[in-house]
Amino acid sequence: MADVRLASVSKRFGTTAALTDLSLDIEDGDFVVMLGPTGAGKTTTLRSIAGLDTIDGGDITIGGHSVAGLTPAQRDVAMVFQQYSLYPHLTVRDNLAFPLKSPLMSLDKAAIKRKVAEVAEVLHISHKLDNKATALSGGEMQRVSIGRALVRDPAIYLMDEPLSSLDAKLRSELRVELKRVQADLGATLLYVTHDQIEAMTMATRVGVLDKGRLVQFGTPRDVYENPASLYVATRLGLPRINALPANVFGAGAPSGATTIGLRPEHIRQGEGRSTRVTRVEHLGDQTRLHLDLDGHALVTLTDAHSALSPGDTLSVTPANPLWFDSAGARVG
Amino acid sequence: MNDSVATRAAQATPPGVARRVKGLSDRAIAWIFVGPTIFLLLAINIFPLIWTIRLSFTNFRANRPNREVEWVGLRNYERILGDSDIWLSMQATAHFLIWTIVLQVLIGFTLAWLINKKFRGNDLWTTIIVLPMMLSPAVVGNFWTFLYQPQIGLFNYVITWFTGADPSSFEMLGSVNLAPWSIIIVDTWMWTPFVMLICLAGLRSIPDYIYEAAEIDRASKLRQFFTITLPMVLPFLMLAVLFRGIENFKMFDLVVQLTGGGPGSITELASINLKREAFEKWRTGYSSAFAIILFVTVFGLASIYVKALNKVKER
Repeated sequence: MADVRLASVSKRFGTTAALTDLSLDIEDGDFVVMLGPTGAGKTTTLRSIAGLDTIDGGDITIGGHSVAGLTPAQRDVAMVFQQYSLYPHLTVRDNLAFPLKSPLMSLDKAAIKRKVAEVAEVLHISHKLDNKATALSGGEMQRVSIGRALVRDPAIYLMDEPLSSLDAKLRSELRVELKRVQADLGATLLYVTHDQIEAMTMATRVGVLDKGRLVQFGTPRDVYENPASLYVATRLGLPRINALPANVFGAGAPSGATTIGLRPEHIRQGEGRSTRVTRVEHLGDQTRLHLDLDGHALVTLTDAHSALSPGDTLSVTPANPLWFDSAGARVG
Repeated sequence: MNDSVATRAAQATPPGVARRVKGLSDRAIAWIFVGPTIFLLLAINIFPLIWTIRLSFTNFRANRPNREVEWVGLRNYERILGDSDIWLSMQATAHFLIWTIVLQVLIGFTLAWLINKKFRGNDLWTTIIVLPMMLSPAVVGNFWTFLYQPQIGLFNYVITWFTGADPSSFEMLGSVNLAPWSIIIVDTWMWTPFVMLICLAGLRSIPDYIYEAAEIDRASKLRQFFTITLPMVLPFLMLAVLFRGIENFKMFDLVVQLTGGGPGSITELASINLKREAFEKWRTGYSSAFAIILFVTVFGLASIYVKALNKVKER
């Protein structure tokens, strides 16, 4: 395991800039999650570190050494691809053993067998070891592809939305498992996702990407509570943060603020402006209330057994709001 | 459902036809459609085959149709298996078959592998390489006889560049040692593009990300070739070998154009020998037996091969 540093990395595809001046420090043992919508440059970041794409500017170091001009093999990275990338003509066992058979590993047959069995156990695919890679469900393929990375002990694990194609139950199971494996191994891991729950639950640090730029980097709690911009605030939190004109709750906005950002839990009920309830979603453990405030939609949470129904009136007032200026940057 | 397509079609049908079609079951109509094809198939494929089998047990001669035909049982087959001429022609066929397949697979795969590299103008190269395959065998045979001309032929001229020998000191088509190779060269020139195209299809079917995964897994280029490229192209390659094998087992046209079986009978492949027996010596019964033996051989070998091919695909 090693620390990985990106210094002012830039990458262009033709005329579009995929990464712009991206700097990122991943400490040894860090679990860094990169968040961002499609096209934000998440996958390009992974591929640049892996050496599958060559960067146009800046530098990448792994374990203190620049990897410029090195092949993926020389960089000693393991990667889980979003589209599985299994070897279709090989069995699950051979897929998992493939990286171990590299002469660089110099492992004997027994060690390979042990390692494969161990990883298969963790990922619940032991019973599928003799299946061909193409004779698996999507979830199983994804687990094999995670396993093919986990059998190794590389400088860094790079994972590109590895849980996106799994069903909800398996996803939450593997989330816990992956976090445990990472903590046990003390592995350095860069993980790309657009699922904020994965980011919040697994990351030691979260990086938010916007159009190829790193707009915020910090602990999940810090990024959630102190977003640098409205864009970052919308990437974390479910239901999403409510963004309303700054003056809807009257005066009190700091100078320059044009938007008030209210997380659902930052709305106190029972006083202030009166709103109309438009929709009530009972989720079992909580209830989501959709409100209408002078034509602005607003979502908040309430008691699981709330008796409110559409058409009712509810008074709300902000508590600990976030303020943003017209460009979306944080003000106060 | 008064307005269904069937109803409207029935209304649009002329009364005479409607009366005739009415009363026919769907099954009968189906037979009407398939019937002509089945009849043709029986008339030009199945019947001749059965007739050939029948003739192969007789001493029938097609140039003397009025002579009484005798039933000779298995005598034709016995004589063929002991006929040294036939064995020589089978050997010539095997030699031709093995070398054309080996050369075409090696060169075809290498060309496909090179063309598959991303470089400028590879589409143009593909078109140029594929051209020989588009030509008629008669044309190819004809102009290669010119290329092989000792005095004016380009082939001999090019060879002397490399060897320094006198161009007219050797005759590709006239020499006992070189004539079999002259045919192998022409067939390889003409049909390697076909093997290349099929290999190219195989290579293009391997997605880039598999190689990327292998790069990450620290597999050397050589290991990538043997664990990814070759196994994934193998079913395609085997299919190309099957096509070329069946085609070349019955090779006739190029040989007739180039050597006509000579010099002597050194390039007399089985099909040439068969033609000679049937239409020069007019031993119709005898050659029918030979044709049946060839048919069973190709059919048997191809069936075994297809089984192997399916196993490879399942792997």
